[in-house]
Amino acid sequence: MSARRAWLVAARELRADLRQPDGVVAAATFMAALILLQSIVVGPQVARESGVAPALYWIALLFAALVTALRSFDRELEDDALDAVLALPGGRDALYAGKVLALAGTLALVGLVGGLLAIAFLDLAIALPGHLGLATALGIVALPGIVVLDVALTLRLRARAALVPVLALPVLVPQLVAATSASAAALAGDASASLAWSALLLAIALVYAVLGLTIVPTAIE
Amino acid sequence: MITTAPPRALTVRIRPVLGLASVAAATIATAMALLWAPPDAVQGEVQRIMYVHVPAAWTAYLAFVVVFLGSVGWLWSRRLAFDAVAVASAEVGVLFTGLALVAGSIWAKPTWGVWWTWEPRLITTAIMFVMYVGYLLLRGLSPGIEQRATRSAVIGIVAVLNVPVVHLSVTWMNALHQLPTVLRPGGSPALDERMLATLLVGVLAFTLIYLWMVAKRATLELARSARVMEGLR
Repeated sequence: MSARRAWLVAARELRADLRQPDGVVAAATFMAALILLQSIVVGPQVARESGVAPALYWIALLFAALVTALRSFDRELEDDALDAVLALPGGRDALYAGKVLALAGTLALVGLVGGLLAIAFLDLAIALPGHLGLATALGIVALPGIVVLDVALTLRLRARAALVPVLALPVLVPQLVAATSASAAALAGDASASLAWSALLLAIALVYAVLGLTIVPTAIE
Repeated sequence: MITTAPPRALTVRIRPVLGLASVAAATIATAMALLWAPPDAVQGEVQRIMYVHVPAAWTAYLAFVVVFLGSVGWLWSRRLAFDAVAVASAEVGVLFTGLALVAGSIWAKPTWGVWWTWEPRLITTAIMFVMYVGYLLLRGLSPGIEQRATRSAVIGIVAVLNVPVVHLSVTWMNALHQLPTVLRPGGSPALDERMLATLLVGVLAFTLIYLWMVAKRATLELARSARVMEGLR
């Protein structure tokens, strides 16, 4: 796979998001709405707890990732741009890797907005901000591989919007548990636990990156 | 070029033999479980559910590993026999995972006092069940033989990573479920000899039933694919 081609796809994706930021805005709004709704449903005292706030945050970010990835491929299909990318030499690999990179970039922005909102709305006290930043960054890196994989596998299928969460959510449980635990440990001031869960996130991200690049391009049609 | 030619293992007269062996092994396993194996010193007679619960769970693991191998085989060789074995194994695996969950739930009520609780082994097994239901859903919604086989093969490869997570979840997290008794790290099985023998015969019976069902279902899948491809010519 050519890293340059993957970067070109990612840059094209981010440029499209800048020119027409409906997907990013929808994801950020969606995330803000989920954080607000969840804190209303469970109550502010429960929502502020170090074990609960990160769980709400990561679940919201996961759904935002699904929304963003679905929107990204929908845009390709609406503009008939997908076939042109796939026709290029190494197009399938570049498409997968580029979409993963672009989604990670978008999620970083959405995650930052969502994180600031969560800190403001829930008045969170952060014991280890550096560890929380590391956990968030690695959590964001660990999500897109599977999300893009499942969206790519369901391209042009009916009931796609329902099928993607069914396929993605069970596979993403380890990422969700590790990201939540790493963030919770950082909020509570447990540095060693936060680093251990962050290392697991890194391992998961590497495994799925290798797996994705090996098998997913063959399945994109 | 896709080939629908069934492998020799499916074309020789293997299925009747497997069927008869399955019935014989299941009969012996049932007799051993109900009449020969001693009751548990603490749980009493209810512990005999283990002879269904554990073999069903182990056979489900085996089924999902076979889904993985069949998926790799399809992507590697484009022989539909691999895809047929993968889908057959996924269906039987989902059936046995469901059976393990139901049997486990029935066992949990008298021993733990609840049908279901937050417990790593239960949750990860339920997640594995949902994952392979998703695999079957994706197959059902994908048009075209090759497209369907390729898409589901990717899920079959990714999903197998959950199998060791399910088995080891009880050692990684605080669990109500008992730790591995037979396949435990660094030790011989912590089980009465008659119980262990009964359990192993149960595993053999479940494995034979699994093989018989997979052989039958894979043959049917290949016949379906051949018919669809003939219709397209």
